[in-house]
Amino acid sequence: MNPAAESFVQESRDILEDLEGIVLELEADPSDPKRIDAVFRALHTLKGSGGMFGFATLAAFTHHFESAYERIREGKAAVTPELIQLSLASRDHLERMLDAGPDEDGTPATDPATAELVAKIEAMDNSSAPVSAKAANCACFTITFKPEPTALRNGMRPELLIAELQELGDATVSVSTVDVPLLRDLDPAVCHLSWMIELETAADRDAIDDVFIFASDWQIDVQQVEAGTGSDLPAPASSRAESVADSSKSDTSDAARGAQKTDSVRVPSHRLDELMDQLGELVIAQARLNRISTDLGDAGLSSTAEEIERLVTGLRDATLSIRMLPIELVFGKFRRVVRDLSTELGKDVQLSTLGGETEVDKNVIDSLTEPLVHIIRNSIDHGIESPEERRAAGKADRATVAMRARQAGGEVLISVTDDGKGLDAEAIRARGIERGLIAADQDISEDQLFGLIFEPGFSTAKALSSVSGRGVGMDAVRRVIDDLHGAVEVKSVKGRGTEVTLRLPLTLAIIDGLLVKVAGGPFVLPLSNVEECVELPCDENERQSGRSILRIRDQLVPFLSLDTLFGFDRIESSERRVVITSVEGRRTGLVVDEVIGQYQTVIKPLSLYHRGIEGLAGSTILGDGAVALILDAAAIVRRAQNALKSAA
Amino acid sequence: MTDSAETQMVLTFALDGETFAIPVGHVDEIIDPLPITRAPNADAFAPGLINVRGAIAPFVDLRHRLGMRPAEVQEASRVLVLDLVVGGEATKVAMLADDVADITETAVADLEAVPELGVRWPIDLIRGVAKKDGALVIVLDVDAAFAPQNLQ
Repeated sequence: MNPAAESFVQESRDILEDLEGIVLELEADPSDPKRIDAVFRALHTLKGSGGMFGFATLAAFTHHFESAYERIREGKAAVTPELIQLSLASRDHLERMLDAGPDEDGTPATDPATAELVAKIEAMDNSSAPVSAKAANCACFTITFKPEPTALRNGMRPELLIAELQELGDATVSVSTVDVPLLRDLDPAVCHLSWMIELETAADRDAIDDVFIFASDWQIDVQQVEAGTGSDLPAPASSRAESVADSSKSDTSDAARGAQKTDSVRVPSHRLDELMDQLGELVIAQARLNRISTDLGDAGLSSTAEEIERLVTGLRDATLSIRMLPIELVFGKFRRVVRDLSTELGKDVQLSTLGGETEVDKNVIDSLTEPLVHIIRNSIDHGIESPEERRAAGKADRATVAMRARQAGGEVLISVTDDGKGLDAEAIRARGIERGLIAADQDISEDQLFGLIFEPGFSTAKALSSVSGRGVGMDAVRRVIDDLHGAVEVKSVKGRGTEVTLRLPLTLAIIDGLLVKVAGGPFVLPLSNVEECVELPCDENERQSGRSILRIRDQLVPFLSLDTLFGFDRIESSERRVVITSVEGRRTGLVVDEVIGQYQTVIKPLSLYHRGIEGLAGSTILGDGAVALILDAAAIVRRAQNALKSAA
Repeated sequence: MTDSAETQMVLTFALDGETFAIPVGHVDEIIDPLPITRAPNADAFAPGLINVRGAIAPFVDLRHRLGMRPAEVQEASRVLVLDLVVGGEATKVAMLADDVADITETAVADLEAVPELGVRWPIDLIRGVAKKDGALVIVLDVDAAFAPQNLQ
């Protein structure tokens, strides 16, 4: 695909994404003329530019789709639930057409799926009210445009633009050849022509602007001509006789949106990843420079090193902020998911979202959709009752699933709450015993009990359905969240509802850590899991086995030595410390040989040789060139707790 | 040498008195021994990690897989940095050799099958045996010899 077509596909995907949101909003408020206009405009843009970049099938299909909305816009048809359903189906169909790429020969193809949708759209047209007399609101425009010299080389096709203008109304087209050079100077790949079109149309100025939406860098001039049939025109159209290129300055909200778009730059995400990699190296080199400067003790060098450190920190923050995206991007997708699921399951569910502006690292965003889909499916399928059950329980017929996001410290909390029937603690306990996850007489807290639903293969049998019984369960949720160094918690009140909360780090690339030494080797513990460091009481140092418990401010904290856990031989150290970690609300002490200090570090993923080792999250290079391993505190603590249990 | 077109450049190196060879295409560089960071609870074949000029590479112990005793780092010891594809991912892998001999040409057709008996090492790690100046050169099957323990 040529670059222009690629950019068309990318922009079209954005348009389709917006379109879905607008259609869903239209469903909530079918009479809003602004939304109807917005749908119409989106489709019109797709049709026009689709034809221009060789997506003839897509353009032809969009034409039918657009006509349906034109009728609504003209008041000849109304927004019905069938129309919304059909619009969503058509939107999905357009997405598939984009995936399929441009047509080979530039002529529209026909396939059964397209034909079926077109038939449905046309059937709807015929069933609506008869057409009233055509409005005589015609205006005349004189449009002159000269494509950029490189336009043809970039895959633009002026003849398709002209054809589109002709569709708007009666057009007289003339071509100017004054700029065509002598044959010996002629570059056949360069466009030397310009066109003038006199157009008499019922469409407004925006429709003409839309034709040129992908040609904004051409010389384009659109003038409205006062003479002719348009004497009774509404005032705004005639006052807008400025050139198209300036349209972004006009006051319509659409134009303002267009202007906003030009302020941002599209960058392929792998380039951001490269930038992040380079920055990671820079942070490491910076640490090395600091060390050398400290060793040398030269005042000039150390002040320069400090300045570079400040710049690197600024650069890092700026780069990280580029990678941050609002979580609304994920939330937006779920309006459709919730709608489709509730229809499928015959339940009446509304989605409310809060905190969509909360920003999260792009990589985290990318991984979030799948776990959230599982959680929402579970909520709607298992949590939310049928309308009859809800009425019997004295609840509103319409159930609510709420997605909320907020930032708390270095973490982002995302919760999915439903007002359904809540988790059945007894059923979970019974299933847990059956699966051998807990002992029959085990006394465990409700939180721990609910945590069982994240175990692989855990599913309360009667709850299987076509939606959530697809062999993907909440264990998939936990796996993804673990990979993101996050945690998942669940709270539930019987009869009132369930809340699943994901705790995620803001970014995956850089962590604040505590650098420690164990058996001579450097390790980094993520600072988010570290509460404090305390001295190891001397007598405890001597103890070789058994349960070790520290008293910290009247609280008993079990602790374990990391060298034992790692299977390393213990080395003599006078600086042994206990690092008190907090994982999922529980405190555990980890004994290290030496605490070196706080250390900001770039996480490098482990190779396949070491990826499977429980308790390791990644590796990094220290200022002195040594490789340090980054520990996964949650996994280490789990391991430690198992070890403590078996020692007890 | 035979006149077969199927020849391959290999790097020969010494392990525990034997001469081994791997195709030079897999060899990224040869460096002096560096400190190794031990990975806790790692399997004996991949005991640690190493910093190869700013990039972190897993350090593998081929001697362990070949059933040899662990080696001390000697003056002639070198670290071979290899370019491998492990589990579908391009990975740099570091290993210690007692000595690096030279680069030589072997004819693929000339490789002799490994006799079932009388070999000390697992034969599935070996592609064949070539003769060079009357001595045996054991050509490794790179994919098998360097496969991570859990993917073997």
